Amino acid sequence: MNYFIDSLTAAAELIVSFDAEIYQLVLTSVVISITAAIIAASIAIPAGVTMALNSFHGKAFIQHLLNTLMAMPTVVIGLLLYGLLSRQGPLGHWELLYTPTAIIMAEAILIFPIMMNLAITAVHSADPRLVPTLITLGAKPFSLMINVIRTTRLAMLAAIITGFGRAIGEVGAAMMLGGNIEGFTRTMTTAIALETSKGEFEFGLALGLLLLIIAFALNFILSWLNLRHD
Amino acid sequence: MTKAYQLNNIKLSYQHVVRLDIPALTILAGQCIALLGENGAGKSTLLKLLAFTAQADEGMISLFDQQINSSLNTQQRQKIGFVDQHPYLLPGSVEDNLKLALKLQGIAAKKHQLLIKQALTQTKTAHLADKASNTLSGGELKRVAIARAIVYQPDVLLLDEPFSHLDQHHIQHLEAFIIDFAQQANKTVIFSSHDRLQGVAIADDVINLVAGKTTASPLLNVFHGSLSQHIFNTGKIQINSTSTLTESHHIAIDPREIIISAHALQSSMRNSFSGRLILIAEEEESVRLTVDCGENFHVLISPESLNNLELSIGKTVYLSFKSTAVTVF
Repeated sequence: MNYFIDSLTAAAELIVSFDAEIYQLVLTSVVISITAAIIAASIAIPAGVTMALNSFHGKAFIQHLLNTLMAMPTVVIGLLLYGLLSRQGPLGHWELLYTPTAIIMAEAILIFPIMMNLAITAVHSADPRLVPTLITLGAKPFSLMINVIRTTRLAMLAAIITGFGRAIGEVGAAMMLGGNIEGFTRTMTTAIALETSKGEFEFGLALGLLLLIIAFALNFILSWLNLRHD
Repeated sequence: MTKAYQLNNIKLSYQHVVRLDIPALTILAGQCIALLGENGAGKSTLLKLLAFTAQADEGMISLFDQQINSSLNTQQRQKIGFVDQHPYLLPGSVEDNLKLALKLQGIAAKKHQLLIKQALTQTKTAHLADKASNTLSGGELKRVAIARAIVYQPDVLLLDEPFSHLDQHHIQHLEAFIIDFAQQANKTVIFSSHDRLQGVAIADDVINLVAGKTTASPLLNVFHGSLSQHIFNTGKIQINSTSTLTESHHIAIDPREIIISAHALQSSMRNSFSGRLILIAEEEESVRLTVDCGENFHVLISPESLNNLELSIGKTVYLSFKSTAVTVF
């Protein structure tokens, strides 16, 4: 028990002393996750809204597919992208393997179905009179989508934050595609895995605490948004 | 005269129940039409069809002599203002809502202020312009929704149950507004109501809707059943008619054509029933009696007749009417 408490104290000291190495890792993680969240959201939200607003053949299939992809293990995404990006793979000449871009691609793919599903849910849980009202006021398909997103913006923001939270806590794909290169592709999660296996428990714990703080902050923002929404 | 709407062979079902079945319906431009019917008669569905937010399964619908096949173009959409029974305002201020309507209709920004001012003045909501939409009372919300529907100056105004849940004060305002709006050149108003007298009071014409079908008859004494060999069977009573239609399932009897008496009458009238008087109510200048003869009949008589007949609740009375007083549809 002493060991754990000592480690915790040491970890807290690392955090408050603004250890350069730790904050470099935090920065890498946050930049990668934010980029992935923005890329995924800019496609997933319009796609989700469009899907929710229209009925077409294969809609049920896409919904099933999205639900399946939401449960897809991250190592599987890592594996598939590894196959595509590795030197012998079809996209090998892009030379993206073991770069932050590769991690961003993986995270974006990982959180896309989550965001799209949440966007669909946001439209479905909006007031049922919203869409007919906009149509009678003259909304065309594009202005309809824009105004639906604007009206459900808090739920859309929640979708983006949820996706970001998933991306920053992800370890499997980041490890396989980033290669855990110090100062380049080493993220908070891959660093925790590495440092812990090296026996640097305090360092890992400090990062773990920071991840928890980020998760807590995100949830705090989410519940604040929900409160404003109601 | 220009036709605002022309409907032909419209059929619309929802969850295997026929909601609308209209062989033909013409609505002339410049008229004020009341759409009357009981709850579930299809009033809202018909208005949604006219607003092109619902689509018929079959049939043809024309807007100002242009047949509409799928969605409306910008000019056509701008001709129609629609106010739902429970209007929805978007988040933001009242003015934001009106401005959004103008933007979506593609109206030049420099005209916005003037049009918004006009619409708010017409609906007497100018004082609400800066109020947040979610702080409005029920009556205010309806008026603002109407302001939003007329801000882009449509030729047709569709109002679904505009009088429901309003107090007497708001009802009078709204009636005055509808009359004013309809008096402008070439403006068509179609509003639904389950209050027969309200409809008749301010409308040029009335469309009665019973179980999704239009009918010219007043809406009292509507019975559902089946007709065979001039005899209409409601399941409880049998009523003589002169109709030879076989596909009909509804009849209506004009309440003014029914004669009420304290004793059975010897007459040429083919229909005669006895029943208990269960309701005496004042209706405008008349007295409305409801008599339970197996089915509930409504009868309109003058207040003098009420005195002469010495009627009271629970008394047995006799109803008589000619078979020609029965409208079959």
